[in-house]
Amino acid sequence: MNPKDTHGAAGTHSAVRQYVVGRKPYYRPVADEVRLYEAAYAARLPMMLKGPTGCGKTRFIEYMAWKLGKPLVTLACNEDMTAADLVGRYLLDADGTRWMDGPLTLAARFGAICYLDEIVEARQDTTVVIHPLTDARRVLPLERKNELVHAHPDFQLAISWNPGYQSVLKDLKQSTRQRFGALDFSYPPREIEIEIVAHESGVDLQSAGRLVSIAERSRNLKGHGLEEGMSTRMLIHAGALIAQGIEPMTACEVALIRPITDDADMRDALAAAAHACF
Amino acid sequence: MTSFFEVERRLSLYLRALWGRDIKLDAFADSQGAHAHRRSTIAGDFISLPQSWADSADRSGLALYRAAVAHASAHLMFTTRRFPTDGLDPLQVATVSTIEDARVEARALRAFPGLRGLWGPFHATEPDGSVTAAALLARLARVLFEENYRDDHPWVAKARRLFLGQQDRWEDPSLSLTLGSLLGKDLRQLRAPFDFGTWVVEPAYRDDNLGIWDFGADDEVIRQGARHSGSEGGRARITPGPGVAAGEAGQSTVLTAAGPEAWSTELLSPPVRYDEWDYLIGRERPTWCTLQECAAAQGDHHHIDQVLERNRDLVNRVKQLVRALQVQRPIRLRKRIDGDRLDLDASIDATIDIRAGQRPDPRVHVTIGRRQRDLAVLVLLDLSQSTNDRVPGAGTTVLELAREATALLADAMDRIGDSFAIHGFSSNGRHEVRYCRFKDFDHPYGELAKSLLAGMSGQLSTRMGTALRHAGRCLNERRAHKKLVLLITDGEPSDIDVHDNRYLVLDAKKAVENNSRLGIHTYCLSLDPKADRYVSRIFGQRNWTVIDHLRRLPEVLPLLYMRLTH
Repeated sequence: MNPKDTHGAAGTHSAVRQYVVGRKPYYRPVADEVRLYEAAYAARLPMMLKGPTGCGKTRFIEYMAWKLGKPLVTLACNEDMTAADLVGRYLLDADGTRWMDGPLTLAARFGAICYLDEIVEARQDTTVVIHPLTDARRVLPLERKNELVHAHPDFQLAISWNPGYQSVLKDLKQSTRQRFGALDFSYPPREIEIEIVAHESGVDLQSAGRLVSIAERSRNLKGHGLEEGMSTRMLIHAGALIAQGIEPMTACEVALIRPITDDADMRDALAAAAHACF
Repeated sequence: MTSFFEVERRLSLYLRALWGRDIKLDAFADSQGAHAHRRSTIAGDFISLPQSWADSADRSGLALYRAAVAHASAHLMFTTRRFPTDGLDPLQVATVSTIEDARVEARALRAFPGLRGLWGPFHATEPDGSVTAAALLARLARVLFEENYRDDHPWVAKARRLFLGQQDRWEDPSLSLTLGSLLGKDLRQLRAPFDFGTWVVEPAYRDDNLGIWDFGADDEVIRQGARHSGSEGGRARITPGPGVAAGEAGQSTVLTAAGPEAWSTELLSPPVRYDEWDYLIGRERPTWCTLQECAAAQGDHHHIDQVLERNRDLVNRVKQLVRALQVQRPIRLRKRIDGDRLDLDASIDATIDIRAGQRPDPRVHVTIGRRQRDLAVLVLLDLSQSTNDRVPGAGTTVLELAREATALLADAMDRIGDSFAIHGFSSNGRHEVRYCRFKDFDHPYGELAKSLLAGMSGQLSTRMGTALRHAGRCLNERRAHKKLVLLITDGEPSDIDVHDNRYLVLDAKKAVENNSRLGIHTYCLSLDPKADRYVSRIFGQRNWTVIDHLRRLPEVLPLLYMRLTH
């Protein structure tokens, strides 16, 4: 397969066409992250998106892929993942064996953005396979196939991880970290978060404002009995319930308070704080 | 009847959620016969509440507690300075207090409109024909709180008009003083009878307003003899009182047996010298601190067994978690001679070999095995003087709670089979950092370790960096895949010969970095509610937890450990 063998309006190879982000994803820029990512992409710099769960990392990368007009190959990492799951393997067919590219190889060969979500979940011996792709070499050796894949000029690697995830056994090696530029993600400032919640869930700005106030209350409790505050994603879920006609406090119970903790005192305090916001 | 101690944790979490800062709560002892008139009170950063509040038909004691802490915390947030009583008569003081109550509530309502639903049910005063100043003040409180409520008494109506007319000045505490002085004078001219000594603030959730006044030279005297609250005479803080401790003598005998003298001065090894980071000169001061390993005093090991006995429920819960931890980590072992499934990759390779005419590798199965935990953990306890402080509401000390928590953690680690040590430290200037080992890696967790744990005591200061360096050195000698220092401390680093707080904080940070370079993780469990200021500087963004409620330490520590090492 020749990387130059591209066709289609966007010049995308048919092998990765299904990964093209068709519709414009909603993303509300918070600072200059779009400009920074565009610059990083122009330099083909591998990027790391750091931030707590549900603050918009994945949505951002989808938006950037759409904006840059590149296909996006996403892979959620888990600890059972092997290097073969990333680079590919031989399969059997009627005529013998057939090589099947893994998602990383696919992206490198045909010029997509490859996004490894929650990279720390993968074992460290797995993550090292990305190393040769993330320095000046930009190659991916396929040992079993005895092939050296030179990355397509459009290829870029992005990873995400949540630094608040508390397990000393799961961390990113320095040799991996130092290959990436990093963008810090956090919950957006109040006004912007209200706008996002209102847009995504369909509730009015006033209700969205209250939901954001409740989330701010829970974020005050981070490290004091809560592992994480309520994420923007949770607020959107609560808003969606409200937009369906569910009574606001019930929606908060279902979408915010019950999922975030099992601690009875904490639930009570969060419910009381939520009441204070309505 | 709702008891303060049942709801204390909910209330303090509630306040932290609302305002994002730590507000301390405590309870004052009940005085006989004053139940209906008890009001909360604010003293410095503390909100003092009655030990219990009765439930009534239309509201629970919890609702009253919640309304009370929400109101008092609004004072802490918005009454930015105390008012001087100079030149004010008692009626003016009472009026200013009522207006200030309304002002802080109005400001809190701007941020949290839902508080109206919390406070509203308590405002039930109706005009009943009595024109005592107390009745008028209660009516004033209602009319200022409920915008749609009308009261036609001329003084009340005037007060309402003035207060609502100055909404743009609600940010400014001196508004209450100006309006209150003026209206207090009017009230005096109405010749409404008023006895400041027996006046009780209405509604019931509001505090006695002592906290917002500065009584000048007599301040302390007046606070002591606070007459106009129902809590008169009995407002002794019950929490730090030694009398409570006596009631739990059975539990603290060991504690008292091991006084400061229990620290042996017998040295177990030659003193070790460590460098210390001085941020001012940007380099390490070589061999600056001297660490001595001392023998730990022995206590009664039955004490530790009693701790486990007392927490039987928790121990059982931890046991189940331990079991889960042991079996829950399946790992797929590939390329086995036999197993429950075919290994797809190996099968394909074998088939390729067969087609190529070569002898295939027969190891084509996958089996599920258990992940080996290869972990060495050093639990490092801060044994400084402050650990002898009593924990409000728990009837015990920080040290005792740390001891209980460590006993439960050790029990869990012993069950899991992790290699662990328990060490402690304190310091008396840079020449005398003391370090003792309650249990070491190679020693079994048996009677000796338990009796040493039972004998541990708190004294002197906290030179954290040197202790962390020594703990790092101990761990560095171990062979393990992952190494962890779990530091349990109740305050920021400090010592008698250092006056610059940042110095020891930055040294501790350096020690953590040095350990990390040796492949040793450091995790801190801080018992200091104000720790947010400095812990993340020392331990990095994610390697710490501040425990929200000290009494829960024994419960939290084993669970935290399992989460960390999962």
